[in-house]
Amino acid sequence: MSNASIVDQLDENIEALLAHADSEPPISDPAVCELLAVAAELRTLPDPDFKARLKADLIEQAAPCADPAAHTDSRMITRPFAESAKKMSAPCASAILPTLFGAGYGAYPVHRSSFIASALAHTTALALLVTVGIWAARDAHEVPKVSSVVLTDLSPYVLPPAPDEAGGGGGGGDREKLRASKGNPPRFASEQITPPAIVVRNEHARLTADPTVVGPPSLSFPQTGPMGDPLSGILGPPSNGTGSGSGMGSGSEGGVGTGRGPGVGPGSGGGIGGEIYRVGGGVSAPHAIYDPEPEYSEEARKARYQGVVVLQVVIGADGRPGDVRVARTLGMGLDQKAIDAVRQWRFEPALKDRRPVAVVVNIEVTFRLY
Amino acid sequence: MKVLENGVDEQNLVAAAQQDPSRFADLYESNFDRVYAYVSRRVLHRHDAEDLTAEVFHAALRDLERLEWRGRPFAAWLMGIAAHLLADGWRHAAKRPEISTSDLERGDVGVDAIDFTIIDPKIEERAMLYQLVGELPLDQRQVILRRFVEQKSVREIALELGRSAGAIKQLQFRALQNLRMRIGSCHVERVHRRSTR
Repeated sequence: MSNASIVDQLDENIEALLAHADSEPPISDPAVCELLAVAAELRTLPDPDFKARLKADLIEQAAPCADPAAHTDSRMITRPFAESAKKMSAPCASAILPTLFGAGYGAYPVHRSSFIASALAHTTALALLVTVGIWAARDAHEVPKVSSVVLTDLSPYVLPPAPDEAGGGGGGGDREKLRASKGNPPRFASEQITPPAIVVRNEHARLTADPTVVGPPSLSFPQTGPMGDPLSGILGPPSNGTGSGSGMGSGSEGGVGTGRGPGVGPGSGGGIGGEIYRVGGGVSAPHAIYDPEPEYSEEARKARYQGVVVLQVVIGADGRPGDVRVARTLGMGLDQKAIDAVRQWRFEPALKDRRPVAVVVNIEVTFRLY
Repeated sequence: MKVLENGVDEQNLVAAAQQDPSRFADLYESNFDRVYAYVSRRVLHRHDAEDLTAEVFHAALRDLERLEWRGRPFAAWLMGIAAHLLADGWRHAAKRPEISTSDLERGDVGVDAIDFTIIDPKIEERAMLYQLVGELPLDQRQVILRRFVEQKSVREIALELGRSAGAIKQLQFRALQNLRMRIGSCHVERVHRRSTR
């Protein structure tokens, strides 16, 4: 086959190849066949202009924060480049928040709405957190905590047995015509050296000792007023009473009151008579069955004042608190709050010989701010 | 293609482009033909191939600073981007009722299953052919570009260049012969270079 015929045949086949990309070219000569294989590959030959345009566009894209107008006005720009230029029309935006503007994820699609929703959710959560924090900080206050406990005073002093009358007690007197005048008994001691006297007969005694009554040494009476019988209704004139055996009152044997012995009150044998016992010596402790806690006074709360109030309370045989006295004061209205609360308390009464009896107990009320 | 044979050079080019994006042009020149060859085998129309190639390089430039060099050819990374874009395009096109099944058959394969560390020899050969066209004598190159890129007839080319139709056919013939000869020698040279490494 001549060269001219090969050239013509090749051109015909190329024409057919270009016209019908998918059809098989009508080749005959093996030499033409080899060249046609090259021609087939050349059908996808890139346009040099396209290559140059793309390069120019990439160079522009590489230039940081280029003038967006330069992109949009470029006549050389191709369709995808127009989209790219549109993306770049937000100056430097992708440099500030690349992910928000779709950059940084390569070929994967990025939805701005997702970022907006995420930002809104985060903002809402943050606002909620701040609001709750402010609200909690504004309304924060210390929780007042009040605790109280019934102190079981187990005195080492054991009262002497009283076979006839329950409880201790004592009495005395100086065989005067007038009943003993009202006052406070002397302090308790486990042993009596000098019986109490309202009217002292021997003012120049050689051996002197403080007057005492026999009873629990831990128990004390107020020593501020004049000495006398606390159960007497007579304020004056001073008298040791109608009893005998020294002491004060109408009883005998150096005590105070109507009883017999060196104690105070009715009964005999020492200690405090009048059916009021202390825990111990066969007397069980009362047990609180209803004990609402005291409230904190507003004054003390504002002053952040805290401490302990000790109340001395007589718990009756019926389980109700009777005489309530402040043994250790705290102030700021907390004493009264403690008294008010303890008055509402109810107890299983103390027992002596299986019989409910009145006892005096100390109740410690602790006011704390947490 | 010389640069692509040398991994150290390519690594340096990538590092330079990461430091200074304007240096991306070197990477572009080195890899354009490969990417275009890869894309053009998978799309029907020239404008689709051009659009996709442009998108690949834009995405590459955008994400270049995130690229960690692990010894893989840079072209492999570009082809990975191209494969994802192709997959996205086909997925999007598959939702349109008028898409032909032949489009899908051309390349709708799982992108993750493709190993881009080994570049297809056919892609290499096609990219080589594109480069060789640029090395043809001017008159032959003009004919080839007008005939295959602009898809003009021999008569039209003859009119443009002021030559006879026969002369254009001769130039076309010689250009193809040239290309066939050179691609053969390049192939042999490349095989020899690989075997001597």
